[in-house]
Amino acid sequence: MTLHRRDFLKYAGAGLAASLLAKPAFSATGGQPHVVVVGAGFGGATCAKYLRIWDPNIQVTLIEPNDKFYSCPMSNWVLGGLRTMDDLIKSYDHLPGYGIKMVRDSAIGVDTDQRVVATQNGGKIAYDRLVLAPGVEFMTDLIEGYDAAEAAGKVTHGYKAGPQIVLLRKQLEAMPDGGVFVIASPPPPGRCVSGPYERASLVAHYFKQHKPKSKIIMLDGHFAVVSKGPMFKAAWKKFYPGMIDHRPYNLVTKVDHASMVVTSEFEDVKADVINIIPKQRAGAICGQAGVRADTAGVWCPVNGVTYESPKVPFVHVLGDSVASNMPKSAHVSNNQAKICAAALVELFNGREPDPYPVIGSTSYSATSDHTSGPIAVVMRYNPDKEAYIRQPGGGASLESDEVNFEYNKAWFEHIWADTLG
Amino acid sequence: MKKQKAVVAAALWLATGIAGAAETAAPVCLIAGWENPPSVCAAHTKSIAATCFICHGPNGKSSAAIPGLAGQDKAYLIAAMKEYREGKRESTVMKKYALGYDDSEYESLAEFFAAIK
Repeated sequence: MTLHRRDFLKYAGAGLAASLLAKPAFSATGGQPHVVVVGAGFGGATCAKYLRIWDPNIQVTLIEPNDKFYSCPMSNWVLGGLRTMDDLIKSYDHLPGYGIKMVRDSAIGVDTDQRVVATQNGGKIAYDRLVLAPGVEFMTDLIEGYDAAEAAGKVTHGYKAGPQIVLLRKQLEAMPDGGVFVIASPPPPGRCVSGPYERASLVAHYFKQHKPKSKIIMLDGHFAVVSKGPMFKAAWKKFYPGMIDHRPYNLVTKVDHASMVVTSEFEDVKADVINIIPKQRAGAICGQAGVRADTAGVWCPVNGVTYESPKVPFVHVLGDSVASNMPKSAHVSNNQAKICAAALVELFNGREPDPYPVIGSTSYSATSDHTSGPIAVVMRYNPDKEAYIRQPGGGASLESDEVNFEYNKAWFEHIWADTLG
Repeated sequence: MKKQKAVVAAALWLATGIAGAAETAAPVCLIAGWENPPSVCAAHTKSIAATCFICHGPNGKSSAAIPGLAGQDKAYLIAAMKEYREGKRESTVMKKYALGYDDSEYESLAEFFAAIK
């Protein structure tokens, strides 16, 4: 092993010089340091909470437009009739108890020179460090007719929990037996790669009980069932033989809601219910802050130790918006949030952050109302390579079962509690 | 590892020498074979322990089917991780996790969770 001379400067970005000179609790404004977090999802809420737990001297403002938390994990369970919408809705009421200042508003702009966030309601909030965790934005303009079809209430993405899940569930309930449900998923990278396959499984579970002559056609922008493939295929064969028609390499380009036809690069498919998950990019505020700095201008590269943008000092990015080889999942967002929070605590106190952070990524998918299966991967940051390296031995289960269904339920409870409780 | 420590000690001596400071070398701890000041190891332990919270519950306190870690015996936790890694103990995801961390991390994690009441 070679001697590794760690370069503190490299991890601290432009914020370092000031941090080093400062006494504990450095702030540009001379008082307590102030972190503004945008977005109270699995990334943002977790970061805000752990900043306060680990260093109560840090002031934290959390900007979020919704008054309640809508969980994407478990949303497919609602579509399959295993749970109701109420089960997805969680309270933000515990967060102020940690000393987090909640602002119910939307961040609409960032002055990264003056370090001020502008909000929809006219607020101007100054920060020492800004953490952006807005989730994804859908690139609906890549699919001809999508915006009109969505506005007409005929097409959903169902990839942000809330009204879209309610609408899609109603459409599935109203669909006649013998109908066709089309799920279109985008090519990678995007939010929750296994989500569409779980969705197909649980809607098939619903159809099997209530509309057994119905079909599900998956138009998949991926080359295969790319996440937990053997597990999903085994479950589809066992529980729903002949019901799910998975068509890989089938990128959707157009939808016509008058005729209910979905057009891919290869075919036209007539549907009764249409669910199209468009390609995504980092949330709008990332664009406004200038941190969508990957080559395509779509996702946000970050320093793997601090999650600070290498492009814009003092701006950090978490969760699905990050450009990386990590899965875009709730679990990873929560874990990144803690690494970022821990790094900020060290920096504000004039110490070096952990140069070797480790991300654990576990994701469960249900295949029926009593079976689930996990994928688990550990990724360790290697400072020499400046990348998170997947550790050997990780991967997906080949089968789903009852034990993992119980663990799946426990995972929901614990990640919600860890993020919001 | 001894050799590495010696190299680091030499480097620290050189660094302090160049800087003209009369500081003694700070004690070091290891993460994945790399030398660090103790504050970094403390931050690392805090961070990797918080990863466990996601499945096992905040602070390792479970309220569901995944077992809790808080207040468990330190030696028991270390032994369990080693058994997961070696496949001697049945698991769904824990073997995959155990393979991603090393013995010193098992120890610091076990100490962290054993101390939570």
